[in-house]
Amino acid sequence: MSPVSPPRVVTTPAARAGDRDWVRSPVECGPAAGFGVYLHVPFCHHRCGYCDFAVAAVGGLDPARRDDLEGRYVAAIRTDLARQVAAGRRAHAPPDAEHLDDRWPVVTSVFVGGGTPTLLSPERLASVIASVGEELDLAADAEVTVEANPETASVELFETLAAVGVTRVSIGAQSFTPHVLATLEREHTPAGPLRAAAMAREAGIAEISLDLIYGTPGETAEEWDDTLARVLSADVDHVSAYALTIHDGTPFGRRVARGLLPDVDEDVQAQRFAALQQVLGAGGFEHYEVSNLARGSRSRSRHNLLYWRHGDYLGVGAGAHGHLAGRRWWSTRSAPRYVHAVTSAGGRAWGEGATPLAGSEVLDDAQRAAERLFLGLRVREGLHPGDLPPIQPLALEDALAAGLVEIACGRLRCTEAGWFLLDDAVDRLTA
Amino acid sequence: MTYRTERIRNFCIVAHVDHGKSTLADRMLQLTELVDVRHMRSQYLDKMDIERERGITIKAQTARLPYKPLGDVADEYLLNLIDTPGHVDFSYEVSRALNACEGAVLLVDAAQGMEAQTIANLYLALEADLEIIPVLNKIDLPAARPDEVAREIAAIIGGDPGDVLRISAKTGEGVVAVMDAIVDRVPPPKGDPEGPTRALIFDSIYDPYRGTLVYLRVVDGELKPGDRIRLLATGFEGEIDDLGVHAPEETAIDALGVGEVGVLSAAIKEVSEAKVGDTITLAGRGARTVRPLPGYREPLPMVFSGLYPVDSDDFPQLRDALDKLRLNDASFSFEPETSAALGFGFRCGFLGLLHLEIITERLDREFSIPLVTTAPSVRYRVTLEGVVDGDTGEPEVIEVANPQDLPEPNRIAEIREPTVNAMILTPTTYVGSVMQLCEGRRGTMVAMDYLTEERVELRYQLPLAGIITDFFDQLKSRTRGYASLDYERGEYLAADLVRVDLLLNGEPVDAFSSIVHRDEAYAFGKSMTEKLKELIPRQLFDVPVQAAIGSKIIARETIKAKRKDVLAKCYGGDVSRKRKLLEKQKEGKKKMKSVGSVEVPQEAFVSALRTSGGTGD
Repeated sequence: MSPVSPPRVVTTPAARAGDRDWVRSPVECGPAAGFGVYLHVPFCHHRCGYCDFAVAAVGGLDPARRDDLEGRYVAAIRTDLARQVAAGRRAHAPPDAEHLDDRWPVVTSVFVGGGTPTLLSPERLASVIASVGEELDLAADAEVTVEANPETASVELFETLAAVGVTRVSIGAQSFTPHVLATLEREHTPAGPLRAAAMAREAGIAEISLDLIYGTPGETAEEWDDTLARVLSADVDHVSAYALTIHDGTPFGRRVARGLLPDVDEDVQAQRFAALQQVLGAGGFEHYEVSNLARGSRSRSRHNLLYWRHGDYLGVGAGAHGHLAGRRWWSTRSAPRYVHAVTSAGGRAWGEGATPLAGSEVLDDAQRAAERLFLGLRVREGLHPGDLPPIQPLALEDALAAGLVEIACGRLRCTEAGWFLLDDAVDRLTA
Repeated sequence: MTYRTERIRNFCIVAHVDHGKSTLADRMLQLTELVDVRHMRSQYLDKMDIERERGITIKAQTARLPYKPLGDVADEYLLNLIDTPGHVDFSYEVSRALNACEGAVLLVDAAQGMEAQTIANLYLALEADLEIIPVLNKIDLPAARPDEVAREIAAIIGGDPGDVLRISAKTGEGVVAVMDAIVDRVPPPKGDPEGPTRALIFDSIYDPYRGTLVYLRVVDGELKPGDRIRLLATGFEGEIDDLGVHAPEETAIDALGVGEVGVLSAAIKEVSEAKVGDTITLAGRGARTVRPLPGYREPLPMVFSGLYPVDSDDFPQLRDALDKLRLNDASFSFEPETSAALGFGFRCGFLGLLHLEIITERLDREFSIPLVTTAPSVRYRVTLEGVVDGDTGEPEVIEVANPQDLPEPNRIAEIREPTVNAMILTPTTYVGSVMQLCEGRRGTMVAMDYLTEERVELRYQLPLAGIITDFFDQLKSRTRGYASLDYERGEYLAADLVRVDLLLNGEPVDAFSSIVHRDEAYAFGKSMTEKLKELIPRQLFDVPVQAAIGSKIIARETIKAKRKDVLAKCYGGDVSRKRKLLEKQKEGKKKMKSVGSVEVPQEAFVSALRTSGGTGD
């Protein structure tokens, strides 16, 4: 009788049974990626047709009411941050993170997004930014980014920001084609972003990024090429470029549903994405993450990488999201309700009484694994072998065979095709 | 209380949907004070939810109405109202119910006029030799044109337009006159009280507690509780447990004599053991010599469709559900079949499209089983090339209800398809458009008669396959809803038919195959490939979608390879939303069927196979 041979176990770098090191002690992900604070300033002059962010359009308010709302919002955001910090780290962590103590790590990145943060007075905006350093330890080399719209830019504004430690501004250029800007309901001219970038430089801001949107209905290939050429001619260090997404609940979504606006075209978006990669790549930009390009690795956005590396961050302000070790929470999207909730909580601790919290979730391992993959594979170099969640050998085989991912030096990363079809790649890997 | 035969009147109401049949029945019940006003719900006799919702009667119901005409000093009369099914799919059931009557109230909406279905049922009533009492309803409506409609009725049944009764069932005006006319004009039942017992089954329904309830009309002799009965067609024998009448709620009775209408239960497990049209007699030595009542026919399905559970795990539940429905509906048949694309399911036969819809709706409503229903097809007769039946020496003929079972073209000598003899009533304005529609469906005109200056009766012979898709919807939309349709099955006729297959990435998908006329094959292939191109999501590679007759490709589309994912971003650290979208997408993918290397969402099968649901009315 011949002995029964044990089933052969196929080991791939990605499949290591039963071990949770990718959760408990990741190499590049999680706490290793740093610790951030996201501050949301929801105010905008008006809500653009495609926007589905937490935004409060204040353009129509009378100046006194607007001033009052903004003043109370800034106070609320400071109170909210103070209360979240005072609650301690464990109060934000999931039950299985018993290894975490109550102390907050040193903040390595701060991001003030919106809305239009620069719609606030420079002093108020400065006070929002300063609150981080007042409540938490801020690393000496922390990246502090503020989003700025071209029409709100001024040298004085940027000087004020630089003075409170802002190291980076992200300018909402979106496009350099007038009719595309008009479709997107942006209020600046094509020259605006370049002027704003120059002002920021002049004020001593170290890193300057431009935000772009591609695939807007009506935008031609030539116009997108022209936008890319203008970006190359500008003195900027970083570009974030996003495919226009039309959501159902937005004015664009309703216009598409009624046939008044053509829907975005997948093939057009793929062409624009390819052009982005090619033109900016040739112009010296490193395409380090699906939607982000930087002039050299030093100019990568640390705060963005924190998200992709499954890192921890506090989220403060209306509609802001926080994450800590597999637990996510978020605030109400309405600015007045946010202000009301924070204010009426009185002197009570975070999470008690009325709270701006709108929801939270503790992720199970399968959800964490999916997140680790769909976030981590966005980055050019993919995931370190020690950070990879277990992947079924057949699922890995499938994704490899489909040509969507590859393994290099034990790291799992997307192929060129996989970057275009990241959702599909992750879907296969998590089968 | 028993009634002498000459005091009994059995009648039905022939009417089109919405012409007020149920309202008139309700009003008659009220007049005889049988139903307490508090218990009165509208359409008292329509018991199934689906019936009440759709305003149609599927199963026949009865009501016993004791009535004493004003000034009649003698005993009261017994009026038995036998409610008939109101749909073309069930014309055989209608004919049996009519055979249980001696008279019919022809009820016509004074605003709408005669409809094809009413005329068809009227012809059935005349065939059954019934006394017709023409009645115009809704004379209180502003749009009523009673004189014109009365002339229309007189033109069809003969007689004087002035004899047509005019009523409003809604207000009750004239209803007494209708009841008096039933007493005066409908003859009492004739039969032999001393002869061997014979009773006609005009309906049978399944009751979960009592087994099958048999609705019957005694023709000769008598039935009593405890009698041992035999059903001549099915050979069922059993003892009568309960004998009752509907007054209108079921009430026990000691005996039913000649001409009486009632209901019995006898531990009959399935409705298929007590078929509509069968004859009830007393069991025993004499039973074999009893002559069956004329007109019995086995129910014959006309329209076929594959029913597949969306979730293949539901297959056993679907089988149980079909078994249960079959208990209740002898006219519906099913047998297991498999499809490479859809898995395990059943090929089901129905009397018509409405019947199909009712069954699938009941499966969904009563059993909550989501289904994929393949395109309805008909049963073809295929003569095989060079194959001779050993017994008869004739060329062998096979019947094909599933396009998959059609032999290779070179083995087929001839295909014959079922046809229907259709009657369409339309305002003259739309005649051209209706003719165009019928000719587009390969119809042959048989006759065209002007009923009045405004209304035309068109008779067409049409392939059944041509009217089971969206014919009725088309007819309604071309005539702004004014035309009406009725049809009866016709003969089988030879036609140049081919099977069109659909291929995804070169592989045929059996569930999409259809048998169509050669002249329509290209248009069908083109529309199906276009539809599938829209319904199947882009894959990682180009997927050709082809339509083919045998090996010949007749239409082609290409589903282009997916170029870029466009799901939500993770703006401002909101990762949850993106993850939830991916999870939802994954859920959706679980419902995909792999056809070769192509992932096809269940929805594609449902939508591509969905016809626009043309039912009769």
